Amino acid sequence: MSGRSGSTLSADLESGLERYLSAPEETRRETLRDLVRALREAVDAGEKEAARAALQRAILPGLDYTSVQSLLKIHRRLRRELPATTPLLRLAVLSGFTLDQLAPLIDLNLAAAGAGAEIYTPAFGTFRQEILAADSGLYAFSPKVVFLATGWRDLAHVPLLTDDRDRVRERVRLEVRDLSAAWQTLHDRLGCQVLQNNFDLPPWRTLSNLDRTHPAGLGSYIAQVNQALAEQAPPFVTLHDVDHLAASAGRWAWHDERFFHHAKMPCAPEYLMEYAHSVAAILAAQAGLSRKCLVLDLDNTLWGGVIGDDGLGGIRIGQGDAESEAFHAFQKYVKALRDRGVILAVCSKNEDHIAREVFEKHPEMILRLDDIATFVANWTDKATNLRTIALNLNIGLNSLVLADDNPVERALVRRLAPEVAVPELPVDPVGYIQAIERHRYFELVSLGKEDFKRAEYYRTQAVREQAQASAASVEEFLESLQMTARVGPIDGATLERSAQLIARSNQFNLTTRRRSTAEILAMTGDDSWITLTVTLADRFGDYGLISVLLARIRDEKIEIDTWLMSCRVLKRTVEDLLLNHLAEEARRRGVRFLRGDYIPTPKNDLVREHYPRLGFQPAGAGDSGSTRWDLPIAEDWQPRRHFISVARAEA
Amino acid sequence: MRETLRTEMQEVFRDVFGDPGIEIRDAMTAEDVDGWDSLMHINLIVAIERRFGIKFATAEISGLKGDDQNIGTFLDLVAGKIGPR
Repeated sequence: MSGRSGSTLSADLESGLERYLSAPEETRRETLRDLVRALREAVDAGEKEAARAALQRAILPGLDYTSVQSLLKIHRRLRRELPATTPLLRLAVLSGFTLDQLAPLIDLNLAAAGAGAEIYTPAFGTFRQEILAADSGLYAFSPKVVFLATGWRDLAHVPLLTDDRDRVRERVRLEVRDLSAAWQTLHDRLGCQVLQNNFDLPPWRTLSNLDRTHPAGLGSYIAQVNQALAEQAPPFVTLHDVDHLAASAGRWAWHDERFFHHAKMPCAPEYLMEYAHSVAAILAAQAGLSRKCLVLDLDNTLWGGVIGDDGLGGIRIGQGDAESEAFHAFQKYVKALRDRGVILAVCSKNEDHIAREVFEKHPEMILRLDDIATFVANWTDKATNLRTIALNLNIGLNSLVLADDNPVERALVRRLAPEVAVPELPVDPVGYIQAIERHRYFELVSLGKEDFKRAEYYRTQAVREQAQASAASVEEFLESLQMTARVGPIDGATLERSAQLIARSNQFNLTTRRRSTAEILAMTGDDSWITLTVTLADRFGDYGLISVLLARIRDEKIEIDTWLMSCRVLKRTVEDLLLNHLAEEARRRGVRFLRGDYIPTPKNDLVREHYPRLGFQPAGAGDSGSTRWDLPIAEDWQPRRHFISVARAEA
Repeated sequence: MRETLRTEMQEVFRDVFGDPGIEIRDAMTAEDVDGWDSLMHINLIVAIERRFGIKFATAEISGLKGDDQNIGTFLDLVAGKIGPR
């Protein structure tokens, strides 16, 4: 998840925060006590913005339950006393368990990601009635996301030992049918997104080793139900893998049954923070707050030793030596992240050619230069270099995560570039994977071919830049790209990627409305809405789906609700192409006007002049700097010039 | 010995209830401490277990807020679990 930070911190808060963030796990509790004191004093002294910025960065996975409660108290107070920086997500949490402890921790973890939630929880034990009764508090609350926090005790069709395989299969079907019915009811009445727990296994196995193989074993049954849920969940349902949480905590530890019997808690108190963090990470990802880029130090981060001193033959990476293998394993993990769409960058204090040589020539390296989107090896301070990297990649500083073994560098970056996430790395490289993984920085809502192509894109981008440099004019360059596009409505094939872009695009985004998958689905079935997507390729490679437009026909106007585009295809005339399509659509439907709004955010200044550039006329201005624009589509309106040949996608 | 424990327990109470003014006496019950509801009870149990490295039984967790219980019996229970120091 990503963090936001605004205000400058007082010296007390700053040093307290740094001591806490750089403390090893064993002593972190002690440093937190001091930080909590400094936070309280800051709030009392009226430095609330600073306290909120510091608190946001202090919320870390792995905090013990009691420490979390002290942060929660300050968070609650700030929530009461400060206006929220972003609109709060309306979230309903429904469960057969008691949610009094879990729900506020979800909000706390969302705060760490720069978001927040207003949470509705019905009275204990009433969640099924809440879904069924159309006049329940749930529907009055009108949530945008409903989290069904079920556990294994909510299974309704557990097999009898005497059931044969067919009978068990039928029970699995019934289990999924019950849940599907609940999802559908929620979706029909609320148009909401649903977050559904899978089922965690209890720690005991009454069939011992047969529990996972006998058709009627509870372990076998839960595995089948979970698989069926994964296969049958519709696009508006996201599955939350709570069973993974139980397994990685250790099932006996996760299920501290004392707290279930006493208070109907879903897991041991010490794991509630982990549970809430996992849920919040998904919600934050859906809000476009996941981090995008892993920035890597080199010496003692990607390999053992210092390349400038030890040379190619002296650094430790690869097979045959335990620590070298740990570095090798870490590179494999990083490579796997890159393969699923995380951007990689290098930021190292080194001579550029010496650093690059390792990637080019060392036989045991997993990562190669092709994998690195931007490579910065020099002697400039890392905070400055990280800004350069963000600029090169056209993403925000708060999209970066820095993996660096050097505590001095980590402290410097935390102080000078607080937007960058800087996880503590242990001294032993074998712990690097866990140290990064536990933060859930790179949570993803979906995975599609665009994600696989991202790294490839950054590689071909260098070639494009050369082509641009050698072209005599912009037009000649655009012609030389030989761009082809498919334009079509959002359908089954483009839904996931469209939702992902809507969740993530910040810069080329006119209104930054985070429409959920559920809302988009509703639009595709509604004749008064127009949905358009553009998929682009050029002679160097394939960009995939890079632009989405949502518009609604009302009062003989086409009102553009959402217009966004990936910054990878800026200045390629894609917006001209898309406007032509929209105008054609307007003529086809006998509509005479297009209307668009620009709603400014800290990140979308890029498109302030989008509508006037396309020939729209000013039609008013609203609150907080938003502007409105009209374009009449008269007989004599001329389509805009672009450089893209179009194949219309199947409707 | 018991007074040392009382001081240590008092620190935990102050942390959990966020009130640096709390003073715990034997005769006090859950009713006498502001905000000692079922939620805070869990927070208190977890904090005490961590602070002293002890574990309460299920019945003890439920019983501690009972009618016949007060801070005195709570201290006795914790002292018994810690053993002689």
